[in-house]
Amino acid sequence: MKNDTARVSANVLPFPSILPFPAASNTPVGRALRRDLLNTLRASRSAVIVDLSDRATLNHDDIGLLLECVAEVAGRDTQLLFVAGSRVNRVILEVTRISSLVPVFNSAKEAMAYQNSPEEVLAYPQIAAERLADKQRWSA
Amino acid sequence: MTIQETQLRVPPVSENPRPLYSSRMPILGNDVLHSWTERVRKLGVQSLWLTSAPDRDTNNDKINTNEAESTIWSGLRRFARQGVERFLMITLKSYAEMDLADLVRFHCENRNPVTEARDGRRQLGVCLLDHSVLDPSNADHGKHEFPGANDAGRVPYQFRGYAKRILSAKERQELVGDALTGACAMRPFGKQIREQVWIGEGVDLAESVRVIGPTYIGEHTVVRAGVTIGPFASVERDCVVDCGTTVERSTVLPYTYLAPGLLIRNGLVDGRYLEDLAGGAVVDLEPAGLGSRIERPESRRQAVRDTHIPRHDFLGAPARANATLTWDFASTSTATQPWLRVQL
Repeated sequence: MKNDTARVSANVLPFPSILPFPAASNTPVGRALRRDLLNTLRASRSAVIVDLSDRATLNHDDIGLLLECVAEVAGRDTQLLFVAGSRVNRVILEVTRISSLVPVFNSAKEAMAYQNSPEEVLAYPQIAAERLADKQRWSA
Repeated sequence: MTIQETQLRVPPVSENPRPLYSSRMPILGNDVLHSWTERVRKLGVQSLWLTSAPDRDTNNDKINTNEAESTIWSGLRRFARQGVERFLMITLKSYAEMDLADLVRFHCENRNPVTEARDGRRQLGVCLLDHSVLDPSNADHGKHEFPGANDAGRVPYQFRGYAKRILSAKERQELVGDALTGACAMRPFGKQIREQVWIGEGVDLAESVRVIGPTYIGEHTVVRAGVTIGPFASVERDCVVDCGTTVERSTVLPYTYLAPGLLIRNGLVDGRYLEDLAGGAVVDLEPAGLGSRIERPESRRQAVRDTHIPRHDFLGAPARANATLTWDFASTSTATQPWLRVQL
């Protein structure tokens, strides 16, 4: 557990990247944007927030790309966070169990706040994300 | 018996705040309409009329509510002109284990033109009306869904037995929980294989499936390897739940396919759509390949239509003993149904 905390704290950098999630598209531009997202993740040493706010819903290709993002950071220090942006996207992330792999937030602001949370919280991101979601549900 | 005809008003999908939910949807293999027709039959009434009307929350069509209600009332007035003295009107807003004979007795003793059944302060959608209420000269006429029911001095019928309003998917799921745990008289339509676990006929369960009670799996449903069903889950008839998926505190409506590896928790799935019971969001699962509607065979469709309602005719039309009843219990259609007479 001590090692986990140490690993996470080494990863905390002041400016996490926020990357918009590219629109599903079979055009060369769409494919290039998706490739760029994965390349950025691959190169990133800081936390990365992938923002799905511009997407009304997610299709088969989107789920595939999200899983590729998860695979890209697996086993590395880079921390990945998703911003669902809508209840619909959040439900899809829950149904596909992606939310059990990556913390999911309602807004980039929340994700940033989480990123600046104490180390103990970062060591258990899933629990922290669930607590935050509960807190928001109650306050709403 | 002064009641000559009984009206059962079947609300369309849009009558509840959730776009997905309809009270016509089966509950553990049962349907609420059938439970009410059985109670009406016990009154000794020989026929009833069914109707449906579009409602105020429909997203696609801005349907005029007044027009819809006036259609209902014009139908009732027509019955009154034909000499019907008293009407029992049931909207499928609730499942209630009510003795309708007791309601009739109460109505007669109190000599109210309108008696509405309530559970505490909430309406249950069951009402007795005298034909005088339908007289256009009556001040109450057309004012409320149940005219005059809210007026001071008119005593509502307080029902103290089991009742559950089922206007939303969440309330429906509560009824599922109550039925599975024996809190009400409704029983799942299937064979009880162990404590609080019911399985319908022809269910295909893979060996590695975990079924955690209380749970119901409807007939001809296929549950593939590694699936977990329950607790408090209801997978209705003719569904396919693919490998590794978990269905927990949720309902899967008939003819639904669920893809592998999903987590369905606190949801209502109807074909390609999932309603999140916690937040109310309705999600289309099909673009992500997570769920879809299974095309039902025509033979099965016919069998469903003919279940429970043997004979009927349309208002104003001659009786047609063998007419096909186009009543689809899984349908989410909001189309206005004509008045249908059902012989009990």
